[in-house]
Amino acid sequence: MQREVGTLPLAPVLRARLAAAGFQTAQELLDTGPCGLSKEIGISREEALEALQVVRQECHGHARTAEGSSSTRKCTALELLEEEQSQGFIITFCSALDNILGGGVQLTKITEICGAPGVGKTQLCMQLAVDVQIPECFGGVAGEAVFIDTEGSFMVDRVVDIAAACVQHCHLIAEAQQEEDHQKALETFSLENILSHIYYFRCRDYTELLAQVYLLPEFLSEHSKVRLVVIDGIAFPFRHDFEDLSLRTRLLNGLAQQLIIIANDHRAAVVLTNQMTTRIGQSQSTLVPALGESWGHAATIRLIFHWDNSQRLATLYKSPSQKESTIAYHITSHGFRDVQPPAVTPSTEGTELNPRKRPRTEEEKQQ
Amino acid sequence: MGEPGREKERPGPSAGAGSRKERAGCGEPGRSLLFPLPVAMVVLRAGLCPGLSEDMIQLLSANGIRTVVDFVSSDLEDVAQKCSLSYKTSLCPQALVAVRRVLLAQFSAFPANGADLYEELKSSTAILPTGSPSLDQLLDSGLYTGEVTELMGAPGTGKTQVCLGIAASVSLGLKQHVLFLDSTGGFTASRLYQMLRAQTEDEEEQLEALQRVRVERVFNIYEVLRALQELRDRLSQQVVSSMGPLKVVVLDSVSAVIYPLLGGRQSEGLALMMQLSRELKTLAREFSLAVVVTNQVTRDSSTGTLKPALGRSWSFVPSTRVLLESKEATWGKCSTQRAASLAKSPRQPTGIQVELDIGNGDVLDPSLVTPTQGL
Repeated sequence: MQREVGTLPLAPVLRARLAAAGFQTAQELLDTGPCGLSKEIGISREEALEALQVVRQECHGHARTAEGSSSTRKCTALELLEEEQSQGFIITFCSALDNILGGGVQLTKITEICGAPGVGKTQLCMQLAVDVQIPECFGGVAGEAVFIDTEGSFMVDRVVDIAAACVQHCHLIAEAQQEEDHQKALETFSLENILSHIYYFRCRDYTELLAQVYLLPEFLSEHSKVRLVVIDGIAFPFRHDFEDLSLRTRLLNGLAQQLIIIANDHRAAVVLTNQMTTRIGQSQSTLVPALGESWGHAATIRLIFHWDNSQRLATLYKSPSQKESTIAYHITSHGFRDVQPPAVTPSTEGTELNPRKRPRTEEEKQQ
Repeated sequence: MGEPGREKERPGPSAGAGSRKERAGCGEPGRSLLFPLPVAMVVLRAGLCPGLSEDMIQLLSANGIRTVVDFVSSDLEDVAQKCSLSYKTSLCPQALVAVRRVLLAQFSAFPANGADLYEELKSSTAILPTGSPSLDQLLDSGLYTGEVTELMGAPGTGKTQVCLGIAASVSLGLKQHVLFLDSTGGFTASRLYQMLRAQTEDEEEQLEALQRVRVERVFNIYEVLRALQELRDRLSQQVVSSMGPLKVVVLDSVSAVIYPLLGGRQSEGLALMMQLSRELKTLAREFSLAVVVTNQVTRDSSTGTLKPALGRSWSFVPSTRVLLESKEATWGKCSTQRAASLAKSPRQPTGIQVELDIGNGDVLDPSLVTPTQGL
């Protein structure tokens, strides 16, 4: 194995000593053996054994990763395409938003939602936590959700409202279509079930948040049905009280990589919400997402929610496969919805919640 | 000493054992350019060269000579005298001189003259089209193999799109293999498929082209290094089966794996970054690949302008740098127009700007903007 010693994940002190002793490739290390190694560098035999184990794992590691969860790490584009096409999306119940996202929130990717206060980010997160549990026969992914809350904006009563509306919607579809598996799925799709499959974590500062994210892989291996991880308020713990900005950048970048690994290995969608900040330019000031330039690269898909007079708009700002576009949406007592009724098939028209929607939007405007 | 000239020689940039084996195995005269490994401290081992026996090594290390550099730079008469004081065996100076000559021959780099270099470059370099004619024009007709090219830009400016465009054009147009190292999770096969569909109607060709693009997900620096090492092993053993004729390696993005390591009290970051850069450059050179990396931009704290991430040390690594910018950033108006400008190039004047459209089909472009002043 011609792998250079400098590229192995060993402790820095050990690496420095190996370089000073003249070891260049991993093969030389393996040939020396633990006794010779401990003598030449001056470390204990246990440490030498440990180091050699790491080296052996790295060198023959590619055989190990052939099985297990990292098997999807290496493939051809064709295989990836087949995987992507068979993967479901998490619908948002707002068909315009689903359309611009290409079907809904994608699994295995990080989606970031930025917006000013009150525009509906947490509402969408709660909606997604319910929608991820929709059974497959209704077009969902039948997964569970992890909700990490840093701002304390998670209201259970609101989730109850949203879940009740979702269950009712599914009942109406089942009635209209009268299929066997619909009825069966509905038995398990109840309010209590939905609420019991949302795993809620409260993190009060950035240390807790980092710890929680680094412990997530274990949690996800135990609860393998989780398909959504929501972090509501990733900006909040990092914005106030942080003197060292370069530390912040480093922590955020490490966090981003960890989240990508989670999204990829456990086939889950990761949704983050971010705040907006003002950038003061030469002649004007603009609202931009918080946490700086380098954070912008962390999310694969970026949605920006903003106001236009009293209309809420969502803009897809960054996506690897969809064009940039803007749509309007509404927040009703049933959750996240379209502005106008979408073009629906006749069978479900009778079940549309529209007649009840319009009066409510007047109330919203007055608020 | 009988060789005053040799005394001053240092086997400075020495070729490592790895590339030596490749040379022996390849048998191709074209690969005569050795790429030196900067660490010239190879440990003395028995059998490293004929005449270097275990006893000799023991004696030498007893006198503090452990590596090739130590041996070659030491005064051999002195060493012989010191060693003969031990009661075991004595080392005669001629044996030491012979060993030293062999070691020097083995570990020093060969000088090559410019004409040979030019001939070799002409025969081994290829220019790959990127799939976008105006980007090709910016890059002096395309991506040159043997070099590292960097694409940098703010989020959403189309770096991944351009990389996908390159992968599509190389795998479909040239029928060569592409290795895509994805560290951000941004590789979307359906978008690649869309681009291929826009370029050709034939379904068979599309599927074949998709099979030629190999994707590896690497989320930290060690995984990147391991993937590159595996690639190097496969290429040097010339295992043709799965890899095929590889021409392009794309690393999207390099800053995502290196950023967590830099700064603070970590001393490792810079070293690992330089390791990575060395791997990329030697891969590009030895196997005639075009290496494309994408990088972020950060805001300069003092002047407020955008500058490429990873600092000054990284800026010496790529030979060509292209900055991607999007036009007017207002939330209402969305467009697929991007501006690409040349920030560093060994062949073209910097500051040239072209327009790109990372639109629905493939990466097309309507017009060529005249060169602007500076960046």
